[in-house]
Amino acid sequence: MILTGLVLVLLAVMGMPLFAVIAASAMLGFQRSEIPLSVVPIEIFGIAEMPILLAIPLFTFAGYVLSESRAPARLVRITNALLGWLPGGLAIVSIAACAMFTAFTGASGVTIIALGALLYPALKQAGYQERFTLGLVTSAGSLGLLFVPSLPLILYGVVAEVSIDELFIAGVAPGILMMVVLSAYCLWAYRGNSQPLGHFSMRELGAALRDSAWEIPLPFVVLGGIYSGWLAVSEAAAVTAIYVMFIELVVHRDIKPGQLLDIVRQSMLLVGGILIILGVSLASTNYMIDAQVPEMLIGVVREYVDGPTSFLLALFVFLLVLGAILDIFSALVLVVPLILPVAAEYGIHPVHLGIVFLATMQLGYLTPPVGLNLFVASYRFNQSIVSVYLATWPFLLMLGASVLLITFWPDLSLFLLAP
Amino acid sequence: MSGQPGSSSWPEKAERIGRAAENLSLALLLAAMLFIAGAQILLRNLGEGGFPWADEALRIMVLWLAMLGGLAASREDRHIGIDALARILPPAGQNLVGALISALTAAICLIIAWNAALFVGESREFGDLLLGKLPAWWFQTILPVAFGLMGYRYLVWSLRRLRALFSRSPSA
Repeated sequence: MILTGLVLVLLAVMGMPLFAVIAASAMLGFQRSEIPLSVVPIEIFGIAEMPILLAIPLFTFAGYVLSESRAPARLVRITNALLGWLPGGLAIVSIAACAMFTAFTGASGVTIIALGALLYPALKQAGYQERFTLGLVTSAGSLGLLFVPSLPLILYGVVAEVSIDELFIAGVAPGILMMVVLSAYCLWAYRGNSQPLGHFSMRELGAALRDSAWEIPLPFVVLGGIYSGWLAVSEAAAVTAIYVMFIELVVHRDIKPGQLLDIVRQSMLLVGGILIILGVSLASTNYMIDAQVPEMLIGVVREYVDGPTSFLLALFVFLLVLGAILDIFSALVLVVPLILPVAAEYGIHPVHLGIVFLATMQLGYLTPPVGLNLFVASYRFNQSIVSVYLATWPFLLMLGASVLLITFWPDLSLFLLAP
Repeated sequence: MSGQPGSSSWPEKAERIGRAAENLSLALLLAAMLFIAGAQILLRNLGEGGFPWADEALRIMVLWLAMLGGLAASREDRHIGIDALARILPPAGQNLVGALISALTAAICLIIAWNAALFVGESREFGDLLLGKLPAWWFQTILPVAFGLMGYRYLVWSLRRLRALFSRSPSA
């Protein structure tokens, strides 16, 4: 059993698609317990029994349409008009714009590609050092994971069977904390010469507002719709997708109808990848629960960890390592079902666990050697991967400190929830 | 990538047709989902109540979209995976490991496809129904079909990498 586990891990790090690795482990398990393997396709068909999953293709598609359009440029313009007059303004502009954009486009490194191209030259031109700029854009590209309607947040709700509305509310304060910490670091780093970029101009603000007049209602429709209970999450996704298509194809005409087929393909390729992993994980989780793996895990953890504090610390270290090797979606569907009962043993609130899980996994995007955003940035800005490591580490440290705070201060996530 | 315009050996033709079929069905499914979900919201707000079958139909369409998206991902070998270790191997090693991994992935897909076919057969025998009165196996058939085709895709990837290994070209 241990040998097959090792072989599977080896295959995974050699590049075997994770859905195949997970499916193989589930099938080997069922085979050993003499359970017919047709239970695997039956579990995969379970995808068709989760209404919330509709949100995933629709939000992903909307995010891809937005990032192919000129919406990123308009977003930077309006954030700049609002915040550019602050000292260190452009750095804060970058942080705010990236967080907002990531929330809407899921977390697939697409923020760095879409916004980085605009922010990177602008920051350098405004006098920020190259290394600082590289680090800022790379790390800001992972902010926003905790904000509505981020895909990983939705997926956690699905896997942990936690209310997605509650997760959306719980993510607000921790997400803002990370933005504030990064902004403060930027201001401090450039305390000597944090010349504002320009004066506040009512005229530029007005022009920028007109420019994005169609996109500005979007967050309000999504947030307002979900929080007021007028729209279910999947309905908000449908409204977003339809509205975004209307703006970018009809109003702005940033995207030509001919491009649409390719955007559909690219976005659904990601959706298919995520959902197939979810499907086979349903099977492997089923097997593991059958084999009482969570109970064994609780037994082992209880032997070494004697309280909520040390549990959270161990969890932090574990997730940091996990986040550096595994993408957020696979980690969610594989690991959450196993740690959820263990965390419950230690009295950790499942919503708080979700916020901790995602916030720590977000660090994983930036953790050498294999953090996804490091590679995306290295490729996108034509820098060696080592220089991206060096540029990112101070930001990683700041974010790491915020995540520890989020981990050990549950009320930061939970205080807005109804008791 | 094969499939140059003008080339006409049958695997290349199949490649072009398959790709176009994937794109078309993905687009049609997504369009239908947007339409149904949008109409539902509209009807509900007009106090009409909406279609009783819509929610179940949408859930089934998500499954179809997932399977077709997964098929598209296997055509481009872009399923989510960890490729850190493979990246540091020399090109020949990458091709060798890649050929082996793809062959294994193909085998796993085909085993799932076979068991999915058994599942569909049973469901047909028992006369399971979905959407009120339609046979469930109509909708479940996507599972053996998609996993079967994914198995074929990975078999093609495996052969492609083997060929690259022996022709000493950089990497497939």
